Amino acid sequence: MVYSLGVKGQNNIKNIQNISFGKKEERSKSKCENKDAILAEEHAKHPIGTGLKINTEKLFNAFTKYPKKGMEGSKNANFYEFLTMGSVPYIIGSLMMMAVFNFANRYFDTPSSVNASKLGKKMALGVVAYGILKNISKKFIELPVKYKYGIDVNLPYKKIINELPEENNKDNLVTHEYHKVFESVDFPRWDLLYDNKYYGDKRNGYFEKIAEKYGYKEGELDYSDQKMKSKIKETVTKTKLFSTLSSYLWAATGVGIALQKPWESMVFNPKQRITNLKNHIEIAKIAKEQGRKIAKYKFFPQDFFNKLINSCKEFVNNSNKATKYAGRGLIGAAVLMTLLGNFFTLNNFNKDKGSKTQASTSLIDESKEKVVC
Amino acid sequence: MSNLLNAIISKQTVNPKAQDKIPAFTFDSDGKTKPAEYKGKLLPSRIIGSPVEYVKDLKKDVISIGRAAKGKANDHELGRINDLAMKMGSFALATYLFIKNPLKLNKAMEFAGFTTFFTSMALWPKLAIQLPLKLRTGVDIHQKYIDSQGRKKMLFQDPQYDLTDLYSREDLDMLGNKLKVNKNLPDRDNFIKQRAKKTAVQGNTLWMMTAGFATPLMSALGCNLLEKPIGKAIESYDIISSTLKLNRGVTTGPISNLKQTLADNSLRKFLQKNADRVMDESFISELSSKLGKNSNSAVIIDAIKDEISSLKRNVKIDEQFIKEVLSGVINEDTLNKLNDGQKTLLNQAMEEGSSSRIADILIDSMQITKKHDRIKLNKNIVNLLDNAKKSKSVPVLRDITDKINIINNNIKEFAAEKNLLDKYISAKIGDKSGTYIANQWSRVGNKFVKLLKLSDKELKLISEGNMDILTNKLSSLASSDVEYDNVIKELLDLINDYEAKTGSTFVSKIKQKSNEICTKASNNMNSNGLEKLAKRISSEVQKGTLENSININAQERITGAQSSFYRLIQSLDLFKRIKSGKLERQLAEILKAEGREIDKEQIKKLTDACQNVILNATTTDYVEKLRSSAFNLSEFEYKTVMRVLFDNGLEDDVTSSLQQSLTNCNIGIDRAKEMLEGYRKYKDEVMNKIANWQNNITPELSRRTVSGVTNSANAVERNSLAGKSIKNYIQDLSKQVYNSHKWLKIFGISMAVLTAVTLIAGLAIGRKSKMEKQVEEESKKNG
Repeated sequence: MVYSLGVKGQNNIKNIQNISFGKKEERSKSKCENKDAILAEEHAKHPIGTGLKINTEKLFNAFTKYPKKGMEGSKNANFYEFLTMGSVPYIIGSLMMMAVFNFANRYFDTPSSVNASKLGKKMALGVVAYGILKNISKKFIELPVKYKYGIDVNLPYKKIINELPEENNKDNLVTHEYHKVFESVDFPRWDLLYDNKYYGDKRNGYFEKIAEKYGYKEGELDYSDQKMKSKIKETVTKTKLFSTLSSYLWAATGVGIALQKPWESMVFNPKQRITNLKNHIEIAKIAKEQGRKIAKYKFFPQDFFNKLINSCKEFVNNSNKATKYAGRGLIGAAVLMTLLGNFFTLNNFNKDKGSKTQASTSLIDESKEKVVC
Repeated sequence: MSNLLNAIISKQTVNPKAQDKIPAFTFDSDGKTKPAEYKGKLLPSRIIGSPVEYVKDLKKDVISIGRAAKGKANDHELGRINDLAMKMGSFALATYLFIKNPLKLNKAMEFAGFTTFFTSMALWPKLAIQLPLKLRTGVDIHQKYIDSQGRKKMLFQDPQYDLTDLYSREDLDMLGNKLKVNKNLPDRDNFIKQRAKKTAVQGNTLWMMTAGFATPLMSALGCNLLEKPIGKAIESYDIISSTLKLNRGVTTGPISNLKQTLADNSLRKFLQKNADRVMDESFISELSSKLGKNSNSAVIIDAIKDEISSLKRNVKIDEQFIKEVLSGVINEDTLNKLNDGQKTLLNQAMEEGSSSRIADILIDSMQITKKHDRIKLNKNIVNLLDNAKKSKSVPVLRDITDKINIINNNIKEFAAEKNLLDKYISAKIGDKSGTYIANQWSRVGNKFVKLLKLSDKELKLISEGNMDILTNKLSSLASSDVEYDNVIKELLDLINDYEAKTGSTFVSKIKQKSNEICTKASNNMNSNGLEKLAKRISSEVQKGTLENSININAQERITGAQSSFYRLIQSLDLFKRIKSGKLERQLAEILKAEGREIDKEQIKKLTDACQNVILNATTTDYVEKLRSSAFNLSEFEYKTVMRVLFDNGLEDDVTSSLQQSLTNCNIGIDRAKEMLEGYRKYKDEVMNKIANWQNNITPELSRRTVSGVTNSANAVERNSLAGKSIKNYIQDLSKQVYNSHKWLKIFGISMAVLTAVTLIAGLAIGRKSKMEKQVEEESKKNG
């Protein structure tokens, strides 16, 4: 198969089979049909549900199927599985961190145990806060990009894998993985975006939508895919950079907030909470009989929320001046990085000043015919 | 193919510069493309990377961030940026916690935690998986290579992306031999490569499965190991730096200048804002605290208060004053109706400030004749005038601003110097954790607990207050001469270090410096008219001055710990005497000398009492002369126990042990002699100041004092001389030791088990599968 590179009407490249990589009838004739599919519709309708479903399946595999394959040294083991297994040390490590600060406490005498559990509680909360804020904070950059340019850096697709037969598995050879269309900025899965039903069943449906978001009028671009690919890659790269940089600062902020004093009095143990509630009811009864009023019992969500607010206040307004400014500095850095990320990702700095119909400014000498084998 | 090509071309378009260097493909003269020659190569394996390479990589990463901000970075760069961002985030957190933690040791441990965490993350796979596998199979699962674009990556990162061609012929043969691959196997190279890849997949999986357990464990254990040396380093740093700063004196660097300017500005603003406030008692307290804040001394703040309170406004009584104050008592024209004589008299009275005479003149002019009315009115007028005069004499801040500034200038110079001295004293004997005295306190106690060879179970029981175990341990220790001598020697070494660091050189330096600083400040203040303040800082009558309290507080801190250390020695001595029968003989002699019957039961009771006192008695018990139910001693018993414990006239085993050690101890003969003297002095002091029957404190007991004998020790002195009871001292330390043992045991064993499991699992890696064995066997058969 020979493809010719060129731009319609712009140079003197001779079209051998024309440049139409994606003519439907030709593609459908291909023997090696691509079964990978974008989960655009599910993702658009139920972004949280789809993400949860994908992550649950991945997590399950990370703890079961992939370690088994890996430890057997399967020839079908791949980098995706290795990366997916990366969540195992993350989760076990988090639990271990909590254990290191909490597990031995029960053996200590009461005052030491109380002190150690105060610290342990805060450290455990820190581990959780780290994980939550690291993931949520990425949305501070990703969502504005999605809203402004329509680019969803987390757009998932299901990849079909045809495995090689092995000693212990000769039949069940088709499996699947969940990837993101833009997980590689070098090689995004553009092919999945062409002729997609969800984007209007047009060859460049997706790219036209994005082009509109970038300010081009409908039909203004002859080759919206060629024009927009570089733009999308640029935006995805910037989004990834700033969401990464800011996420670790937010995670650090989360740990900082989790290590404040108000949490020391937070009761997480459900048994203890039930006992406290019973005691409170008893006290309330007695108080009622005596005609006194006592403070309302705070249920877990309210109690947690109060402690969270107080911890945030203490974080940015600590009585110690240096700590106060350090806290403000840390949260300030996270906010600043997020704002910087929004500024860079939402601004189209490299506006193309050239022809709107030219595919891209190229290094290729357009006066010569190019043939790729 | 088309997508790949698009990507390559698009990349070339976006990033021409990077591609200029090493293009991924080239164009022939006829326009056809060809892949560029691959220039990748394997990198030498290292357990610890070179710092130069690290800096180079860091530089590249920073450049990558710049490129990514323009939307031009590639996957590899973004991956590296992620790692860098994780470290930056953790560093930011460590910095926050460094600032948040008040203690230097905790501050340092935040960075130790950060470092050990990332070190553990990097070292665990290398030490527990990569290295054993490499030694056994020759496969380095973390083998790195550099590609044509200069990017460093892991060779076996993606098993589906085969890069084993990078192995040289020799390397591949060596690998095959190590993997015991049959040399005659057809397609041997491919077989070796497959085995290497398989080993790497298994090794990397093992890494993922174990890293979550290993990293926090290694990091926590690492921090535990680092805590002591870091604590010691901070302790030494504090002592050296505070000594240097004290010797150098107050310096006015840019930072201290800035600080001072800020402080002065803040005071100026305060004075301006409150210029019209009346100097009542609460405001004087507020202002005094503000002025004396930097001196960190309640004495100074109190003295400033006195100084300000003494400032009065000069109020003169004139006609206007009289009119204002007495408007409700005299008529408006009373003053106008005065005749010339009365006017002269009034002027005189006003000049003298005599309220009573003024009242008389006014009453005369009002022509009140009744004696009763005159007396009543006089009293009323005098009261009104005096009160008004008094209230008007209280100044507002504006009136005394100059004086306040003088006070501030004198205090700030003195405070700066005093703070240097405070820090010098605090570095060694400060009442906070991390100082030399606090650390030495733990070191002595820990050594004692260690030398007693207490099991974890025993430590737990002692920490819960079970003293029988301690008594038994001390008793059994006393029965072995070798162990006993060893314990004494080890403790003496530590006490010697303590005395060397807090001895006469240290104390005399404090005295000299406190005298120098306080006298200078006192003289300056005197010459500036701040006599009250000057007197409180330093005066010929030392009692109550700041100078004196600095010296006394320091001395008491030193003595306090020293007494507790000596008390440990003393307890060993007592048990030795009990064991050797010496105590029984001594008690018998005392009973005989007192003309009492030598009763075995009495001797037993006294022996138990001695043990009880040395282990449990607190200052209060001494004060109450051990009459509480815990001791319940009669006067004779009390005196006998005190003689046994503190009378230097009775020879004891410690002194003889010390004498023996003169010849063979580590501390030298002269020093041992000094320590012997020190120990004797300690006993004398306790005997004279708190153990003596006459030194009674409580009112109820004071009735029993022999007239003429006064208490010779104040409360602070009594506390420091009595020292901490062995029970409290060892109980506290047992808790700490038990907790740290328990923690270490749980996580140390977990780490050991994890390492063992990983190493054993590692042994299963790289084994030939059935099919591989079959292939090899078949090839053998085929020759």
